[in-house]
Amino acid sequence: MQKKLSLLNKLQLLSLIAICFVFIYQFIFVDWNFFEYAMYIRTPKLIAIIICSFCIGYASMIFQSIINNRIVTPSLLGMNSLYILIHTSLVFFVGLDNPLVLNKNLTFMIDVLLMAILTIVIYGFLFKKTRYNILYILLSGTVLGTLFSSISNTMIRVLDPNEYDTLLTELVAGFDHVNTDLIMISILLIVLVFVIFFRDLKILDVLSLGRTQTINLGVDYDKSILKLLLCVSFLITIATALVGPISFLGLIAANLTREIFKTYKHVYLMLGSFLVGLIVLLGGQILIEHIFGFSTQISALVNLFGGAYFLYLILKNKGV
Amino acid sequence: MEVKNLNKFYGSKQVVENVSFELPKNKVISFIGPNGAGKSTVLNIMTRLISSDSGQVLLENKDLKKWNSKELAKKIAILTQTNHITAKLTVAELVAFGRFPYSGSNLNKEDRKHINMAIEYMELQDFKNRFIDELSGGQRQRVFIAMVLAQDTEYIFLDEPTNNLDIYHSSNMMKLVRRLCDDLNKTVTLVLHEINFASAYSDYIGAFKNGKLYKFDTVHEVMTKDNLKSLYNVNFDITDFNGKPISIYY
Amino acid sequence: MKKNYLFTVSIIVAILILSAVSIFVGAFDVSLSGILSGDYKQLIILLNSRLPRVFAALCVGSGMSVAGLIMQNLCMNKFVSPTTGATISSAQLGIVISMLMLPGASLATRSTFSFIFSILGTWLFVWFIQKIQIKDVVMVPLIGIMFNSVIGGLVSYIAYENDLTQILSNLLVGDFSLILAGRYEIVFLILPLLIISFIYSNYFNIVGMGENFSNNLGVNYKFIMFLGLSITAIITASVVVTVGTISYIGLIIPNIVSMYKGDKIRKSLLDVALFGAMFVLLCDLIGRIVIRPFELPIELISGIIGSVIFIVMLFARLNHGRRLNKKGVSHAKKIISPK
Repeated sequence: MQKKLSLLNKLQLLSLIAICFVFIYQFIFVDWNFFEYAMYIRTPKLIAIIICSFCIGYASMIFQSIINNRIVTPSLLGMNSLYILIHTSLVFFVGLDNPLVLNKNLTFMIDVLLMAILTIVIYGFLFKKTRYNILYILLSGTVLGTLFSSISNTMIRVLDPNEYDTLLTELVAGFDHVNTDLIMISILLIVLVFVIFFRDLKILDVLSLGRTQTINLGVDYDKSILKLLLCVSFLITIATALVGPISFLGLIAANLTREIFKTYKHVYLMLGSFLVGLIVLLGGQILIEHIFGFSTQISALVNLFGGAYFLYLILKNKGV
Repeated sequence: MEVKNLNKFYGSKQVVENVSFELPKNKVISFIGPNGAGKSTVLNIMTRLISSDSGQVLLENKDLKKWNSKELAKKIAILTQTNHITAKLTVAELVAFGRFPYSGSNLNKEDRKHINMAIEYMELQDFKNRFIDELSGGQRQRVFIAMVLAQDTEYIFLDEPTNNLDIYHSSNMMKLVRRLCDDLNKTVTLVLHEINFASAYSDYIGAFKNGKLYKFDTVHEVMTKDNLKSLYNVNFDITDFNGKPISIYY
Repeated sequence: MKKNYLFTVSIIVAILILSAVSIFVGAFDVSLSGILSGDYKQLIILLNSRLPRVFAALCVGSGMSVAGLIMQNLCMNKFVSPTTGATISSAQLGIVISMLMLPGASLATRSTFSFIFSILGTWLFVWFIQKIQIKDVVMVPLIGIMFNSVIGGLVSYIAYENDLTQILSNLLVGDFSLILAGRYEIVFLILPLLIISFIYSNYFNIVGMGENFSNNLGVNYKFIMFLGLSITAIITASVVVTVGTISYIGLIIPNIVSMYKGDKIRKSLLDVALFGAMFVLLCDLIGRIVIRPFELPIELISGIIGSVIFIVMLFARLNHGRRLNKKGVSHAKKIISPK
């Protein structure tokens, strides 16, 4: 039955489910007496979730093709902890009440810029040094993630030892405090990214043949990898700035998508990954907000199932 | 195609030392030599997979580094021994990638013609819609060659194409190499471990030892007792078989 | 031989100095003259807070390091430790579950739960890595980290659902500032465990060579494996119960010491324990000095230093492996990778 569906059919089906979830999420248990207020609360969050799943879905798929592996995602390599570290350091070094920090859009732009530079430096170095040895990249990436979050944690504590928790929620977004101020600028940045990197995204299909064949087919490999890595860095920055870190979402979305589509065509894979991510997030959010009743954070659940899924993938493939 | 004074170091170890030669057109050229002699490294430099520390590779009298990468992909094609692909691809889809340097992902009529020709030439019609991870090693090798054919280049480079193949598939592979040169006018350069395959199917042999080009000449000039002995440090006997020098060693 | 001796002695001297500094650093002034003159307030602080803190640091440091050492030997993998196995998170899970099932559970009950869970978790992890025949050494810690993430996710879920978030943050971020007399004595359990480890150290070495090797020498593989992993788990759990999570110590300390001392456990165990104690004392001091009079939790300091050292180790291993491969020797791999 599944096999008879064409790629386009599958995409349409996923879109349909996603749209259903969007409506359920937006209108479930709405108190019609306070309809406008409910929409005022829910709409920005919904938009943030959509942007976040878009960014994570695309970034994970692109990243997996860059390093030609299905189990690695940028979040697993600590990229979102890197963003949080950059943001915290910025606040740490210029001060909490600096006009620079008070202007959220400006701070965001600086974060994006620093993030791009550091991503290239750190992960470029990591790839080169390990010669694309996935295991080493993955392990040092996860440990780098702990390092980054330990440093940013320390900075937050040093910044204000008494108000640690308040400061943490202020500096690091989460699903219960989505950074709605950044929605406009995020959308702008996404459009910009796709205009700039449109041509590079086209080589993703070839990239899945491996380095040798990519060069053989006339792609300037090193330059393209660099550009795609930049693209990933922008997308991860946006996602983390809006809703905070969700480590395993990319892994779940990307791998489920590959299972569903069974193709190498990135147009489908990337869109699919976005939709699957959206369905997972909205589904989780509906469960949590309306069934569990708010106390659990969705990131905890995503990590729980994502980690288990990772172990399952390793067990199934007998390796990475 | 011409190679001039190539040098390559890994750390302090020199793996390619002052290698120069000219690749004769429309011939089959085999690189032989003991492990670590630098033959694969030279092949990789000639196909811009790795860069040399000094020296030049000239294609149509223009340095490889100065070529536009898309244009270069229409001139030379390389197939290495590790073609591990994780993507879920069918045979036809993989072969179609050979046209990427010409039309990107949007195939035109001309592209389809080349793809179909390549598939037919490699006798892959029956597998066309099978996924490549379902094929055997020998079949997969043929799919990759078909892709390289669709790429429609003058030069084809093969790094140990008979590696991991049994005797039947190896000898078929060598016959195919010969046909690529004789029927399709390609210049095929390959790295080989089996010296008798090199002797039986090539026109020229480049023999490497310790990073240096020991000898680059016709098969009969290279395949002598003395040359082989100093290359491999093993005693050889040479007999004649259908006009080709065949080596015996034990 | 003489050089080895020097190493041990200099660490002991360093520990004594650091302990002294640790006793006299803090929000409230404690001085030698004050104590000697019998200042009541100063004596109370010394006995209730400063001394317990030093003892706890010493026990935690030596315990976690030795736990790592044993685990690395039993798993034949230099990258395994309570942090990169499932031990720490299982210990957390045990505590959270005890609080869930028996609200207001005593420290002893909590510890018991924590012991049981960390033993089970460690066993599950070792079973898993033995079941999927692992090809590369660094695969094992990777799986361990994922195990931690799964169990950690479960822990946070339970905590969030049951209003235990305050306990959660204490559990996840190790901190010595809560150490007071009467509330930390469980860590002394580590001392007898260290002695048992020392007695059995040769057995651990033998079991580390593999099941056939041990049977050949008449050593009961399963029993020693069980003993070793249980010791590791109990040490870890008692640390988590009293101070909270402290990462990376069990991973890096044995590796640093083995560079000087080699991998014979009986020879290196004492040094590993001392070096670990010194390291934790030092990290604790740094955490107390940076933003005086406030404190940084030790977990942050050890997390930063530990992860940096871990990455350095990883790259050293990468270069090392490459050099060996070039020579055509994969000897090192054979030694450290599980069969």
